[in-house]
Amino acid sequence: MKSSPAKCDQQLLRDSLDDVLSEQQEDWLEEHLEACTACQEVLAELASDAEGWSRVESALVSEVSGTTPLGRGMISTLVPGNQRGLPGESRIIGRDVLPADFAVDFLEPAQEPDSIGRLNDIEIRSVIGHGGNGIVLKGFQKELNRLVAVKVMAPQLAASAEARKRFAREAQATAAIVHPNVMPVLTVHSQSQLPYLVMPYVDCESLQQRLDREGSLPILDVLRIGHQVARGLAAAHAQGLVHRDVKPANILLERNVDRVMLTDFGLARAMDDATLTGTGLIAGTPQYMSPEQARGDSVCLRSDLFSLGSVMYAMCTGRPPFRAQTSYGILRRVIDDPQRPIGDLNADVPDWLEGFIDRLLAKESASRFGCADDVASMLQRCIAHVQQPSNNRLPEAVQALAGRRSVSRPPSVLVNLRGYVLPLIGVLAVVVLGAIGASGVLEPAVDPAGGVPGGDAPRKTVEPSAAVPLEMPSQRNEVWHDGVSEELSSLAAELDALLDALETNVDMDHQTRN
Amino acid sequence: MDQPETRHSLIVRLKGDDYERAWFDFVAVYEPFLRHLVTRLGVPERHAADVVQQVLVAIAKSVDGWSDDGKAASFRRWMATVARNIVIKFMNRERRQPGAHGGTDLITLLEQVPAAPDRAAVERYEHELIIWAAEQIRAEFVDTSWAAFWLTVIEGKSVKSVAAELDISCGSIYMSRSRIMARIRKKVDEVLDQPLATEGDG
Ligand SMILES: [Zn+2]
Repeated sequence: MKSSPAKCDQQLLRDSLDDVLSEQQEDWLEEHLEACTACQEVLAELASDAEGWSRVESALVSEVSGTTPLGRGMISTLVPGNQRGLPGESRIIGRDVLPADFAVDFLEPAQEPDSIGRLNDIEIRSVIGHGGNGIVLKGFQKELNRLVAVKVMAPQLAASAEARKRFAREAQATAAIVHPNVMPVLTVHSQSQLPYLVMPYVDCESLQQRLDREGSLPILDVLRIGHQVARGLAAAHAQGLVHRDVKPANILLERNVDRVMLTDFGLARAMDDATLTGTGLIAGTPQYMSPEQARGDSVCLRSDLFSLGSVMYAMCTGRPPFRAQTSYGILRRVIDDPQRPIGDLNADVPDWLEGFIDRLLAKESASRFGCADDVASMLQRCIAHVQQPSNNRLPEAVQALAGRRSVSRPPSVLVNLRGYVLPLIGVLAVVVLGAIGASGVLEPAVDPAGGVPGGDAPRKTVEPSAAVPLEMPSQRNEVWHDGVSEELSSLAAELDALLDALETNVDMDHQTRN
Repeated sequence: MDQPETRHSLIVRLKGDDYERAWFDFVAVYEPFLRHLVTRLGVPERHAADVVQQVLVAIAKSVDGWSDDGKAASFRRWMATVARNIVIKFMNRERRQPGAHGGTDLITLLEQVPAAPDRAAVERYEHELIIWAAEQIRAEFVDTSWAAFWLTVIEGKSVKSVAAELDISCGSIYMSRSRIMARIRKKVDEVLDQPLATEGDG
């Protein structure tokens, strides 16, 4: 064995597979594995025996190479690739499928030679990108003589009433905001077989693409982009809308023009929308999510400010503030861990900007800045200062943040994590639900009354009601955090509602077939 | 078919609380996989839920053949085996008559499920299971971790070259790929209820 930082530790390897290492342990193990071939082997064995490794390998290899008898050339989300598709919708296009094949299914035959199909009045020219939620096409509207981007919902999602509702909401939400820093929606077709919406076609890239290419950005760009995103958010907030999914993939940078647009209001939600609040449908990576969202608590306008802080952090350092290998690990860090000081990663970032971003990243929403409008105004003055320091002083509020590199841990950090774990699992369960769309996978939930299954209850076969008893070792009941069962039963109610919607769809399908 | 069977009515067939619970657990794990499978076999998306229900009904019906030894765990394992055999039967049939799905009554067909399917059929079943499991857990991992796993294990590139390509350390590649492998294994075993690639016991 070569030299390594410390002794080999099998327990650490096991914990690493369970994703329960602290960031420090993870760094240590990463370094140790670099050189210790013994631990490399043990880790692989702990993950699976050799037979398992080779079965998984050969299954995935034969799937990708198309030699599987059952393979039907479905879109694979498994093959990594560099193309990130259209901003806001980025996932990888599997090698086994041509985007055009996916598109022909629902397009009418083309009328123009350079078009791959038609969708009502739009001649579709190419596929810009697609992901779990749908596909984005580039099209041309002849009568209006304009290029458009068409976002079409994925067929498996279109079967779900909840997803259709969400889609319609995106359209409504966005249509209500008219602002240069918000990507407009031109038309909406929510009643068609596959709902779709039409946006102007803009020659742009996403901030995500730029970060992938360049890593960290110059300070002036950080401020300009942050400023315009804050303006876009202020416009949304003025309508009472929380975006909920501010991240680099949803921020578009127009080429050759200094204009930034916020897009993808798919998760946006009216603050007073009682029917839909708290369902917590979360799509994609939680890396830019606020702690309150990660916990499954209700969001507020300041939740978007936290995400803006995460985006600015990523622009300064080239990486998001909270990283881990799994969604669960990321959520845990968002809730509990302080971000690494920006100065450690990029010494060029001035103190005051680091302090500014730390303020946005406050774990408690009340400790962040007051509103997006204030943030935008301050950033505007910061831009002036950076451009001409002698003529423009930093805003006092910003100056005061300089040198306060104290990223204080939240007081709750030593409080048991247990209270978070269950809501987190709830959030993750819904992430999975969202990802598989309408497949109707439901977990049994806890009986809110706390009844112990199999106790005195008469042994008979019953029609299950909304709450289904779940087997649960009684000693664990005692240590469960108060309120957890409440949260679980409300999650169960939401899932039930979703199931009802799905069953209604199945019923309707039957009626149309009979 | 007069009415769609719902999951609720399936439960009525089961004998006691323990089995009811075991069945619920089983369906929670098994249903998503079935759904993946039937759509891969060409059942249109809007009929998939229906066909999955039929397969589940067939599995539930087989409960009559179960002799009670008092253990919910062995009930589950037995269920997994029955389910596997029924699904393999279904796969074979779909291969012979592609497109004959949806309205047809599967149950009569499925009643003649052979006790021990051949090795090739079992392997194909496991293949589907692995693909499904990988798709299920994909979203739990960030892109870099997934790419580290994919490029070194599936595309067979060296750890060193992938580390350079992705601009990450070799150590993090070892961690990511083992983590991903462990998750796939766990997901597969949940459905299989026995270790991967052991000979079917019928
Ligand atoms: Zn070692």
